[in-house]
Amino acid sequence: MIVVQALVNGLVSGTLLAVPAIGFTAMFAVLRFPNFAVSGVATLGAFAGYLAYGAGLQMAGSLAAAFVAAGLAGLLFDKIAHLPLVKEGALPAAIASIATGLVLENVVRLGFGNEPRGYDRPIARDVFFGEIRVSPQQLETMGLALALMLAVFAALAFTRIGKAMRATADNPDLAALKGIRPERIATLASLIGMGLVGVGGMLLGLDSSIDPLTGTRILLSLFAAAVLGGLGSVPGAVLGAFLIGIAEELSVLVVGSQYRAAVGFVAILAVLTLRPRGLLGERAF
Amino acid sequence: MNKIRITRRTTMAGSVALLANPAIVRAQADPIKLATLTPLTGAGGPYGPVMAKAAASVVEEVNKAGGVLGRRIVLVSEDDQTNPEAAVRAARKLIDVDKVTAIMGTWASSVTTAVAPLCWESKTFLCTVSGADSITLLPHQGYLIRTQPNSRLQVTRVGEFILSLGAKKAFTMIPQTPFTQSTFDVLNQVLPKGGATHQSLIYDDKKTTYRTEVDQALRTSPDVILANGYTPDTVVLLKDLYRAGFKGKILGFAYSINQKLVDQIGQNEVVEGVYTFAPSSAEGGSAYEKVKVAVGSANPDPYTCQVYDHVNMVLMAIAVGKAASGEAIKDNIRKVTQGSGKSVDNAVDGLKAIAAGEKVDYSGASGPCDFDEKGDILDCKFRYEQIKGGKFTLVKIA
Repeated sequence: MIVVQALVNGLVSGTLLAVPAIGFTAMFAVLRFPNFAVSGVATLGAFAGYLAYGAGLQMAGSLAAAFVAAGLAGLLFDKIAHLPLVKEGALPAAIASIATGLVLENVVRLGFGNEPRGYDRPIARDVFFGEIRVSPQQLETMGLALALMLAVFAALAFTRIGKAMRATADNPDLAALKGIRPERIATLASLIGMGLVGVGGMLLGLDSSIDPLTGTRILLSLFAAAVLGGLGSVPGAVLGAFLIGIAEELSVLVVGSQYRAAVGFVAILAVLTLRPRGLLGERAF
Repeated sequence: MNKIRITRRTTMAGSVALLANPAIVRAQADPIKLATLTPLTGAGGPYGPVMAKAAASVVEEVNKAGGVLGRRIVLVSEDDQTNPEAAVRAARKLIDVDKVTAIMGTWASSVTTAVAPLCWESKTFLCTVSGADSITLLPHQGYLIRTQPNSRLQVTRVGEFILSLGAKKAFTMIPQTPFTQSTFDVLNQVLPKGGATHQSLIYDDKKTTYRTEVDQALRTSPDVILANGYTPDTVVLLKDLYRAGFKGKILGFAYSINQKLVDQIGQNEVVEGVYTFAPSSAEGGSAYEKVKVAVGSANPDPYTCQVYDHVNMVLMAIAVGKAASGEAIKDNIRKVTQGSGKSVDNAVDGLKAIAAGEKVDYSGASGPCDFDEKGDILDCKFRYEQIKGGKFTLVKIA
């Protein structure tokens, strides 16, 4: 029974991980470099949401605040620091993005200090289904995350902008020939991708607490999820997030919680050795 | 620094005053030099200045009473900046230029680790308040004592407290830290002796939820859970224990379960009844009262109490050894702090007794100040509190 419970717990954490993983992989699909600034941006989003929630905004409003703050910050750094370097290759841009993450983390530290903070949400006892227990709040956060994912999928599938993004990710030259302006798509990818990362940071913080290292803590799991699903593939990121979430919880039962970080590394190692393009390949959708 | 202007007139006046009081001339001629090396700046900045003040107050009292071995005491205060590099420079100056016989009050473990070799090589005695277990394991040849309880002593007392709560099945949840293994070792010894079983789990302090870990712990149906992490992960852990409906007792260190944690959880029933513990100064004791007056604070911190004890012990050790040297302190410090001598709580009384040929046993502001051969204290008081309605209430100091 404890295995089933661990699976349920893994599903919950996988859902939360999926939101920033989608953002990360969508940015990779369009901008062609792994943007590790997600660590700092997720933290920033979590704190923006925290401020909005503390100021009396409802959950939806706070999530929107997290999205906007993180999206704009991500866009700014992409424009001034990362995209100029992409011409030199993905690696310089990726290294610059690590630096950006550190800068953002310390900006948050400067403003809020190192102390962890919690969203002022009531903590409720779990609900039991037979022997399996689920937290009502986690169900709520999970619902929010699922709704957000559906919205992203719908946008990519049915809107002009979504189709343009997929086209650019698939073949930038061909898309440009069709009159799609790559800079506009890049701007959108930064804004939406980082916005999702910011929302993900807030969703992860809702249940626990937030501090300047909130984003750094999830960076490895997030990257592993994206690599596992196939860097650049949005459904792949969702699948990867669920698998990583479940594997991390099951690993607690098998090898002990202190080796949880190894799950991400083992997943990355295995994928790069056995199936470098990831489970679902590189197609954006 | 204030410039003292020496004119012919002040020189004359000074000389006359000196001639009139030969005791001052003798003491001035050859003072005993001691030093504090406390963090006046840096992370330890809130503690260092008060520590230096407490040390200076002891020296002042002893000088008023005639000094030690008929000699005046000069206390040099240096700033270690909570930084090993700065501390080494300051220690070099204290040892090579000021030629002090003892350095007292090093605070950060990194600072103490850096300064200790300079001390034992130059036979300068070192008294520290640093907590890392590794410090007393350095090859210090006896030139080091510390008044802060090491983690072994702390965990032993935790185990005894768990037993006093009536535990039959205790469970420890702890992240990977330098003291994780020693915590397990000590609890696996202490708890079975008192008739309780002990199981444990190491968790990853970077996780955002501990639901599966909590499930694992609750499967063993524990009646007491020791939540032995730092504040951020303990927040998540306590919430998840509450959600899971854990009805047993919870306890943890006061450095992690503090007012900040309570505020952050923001819901009193989640932390209701949680116990905390911390090493405590000998509150209520006569030496503690003296420290209160010396530093002008109603709650002097443990480090201030400890450095107050350092100076008292060192001065008495010099008196017993009849020599102002690190070697004399090393050989005699345990003769004035433990044994069956006359119980004293300050150096002035102790020095009188020593002059009268009596043995003394110092009990200070930080505790009984008895040391083992490695330089660790054998025992100290601990403070136990319980959260009631979101407030910390004192259970006992023992």
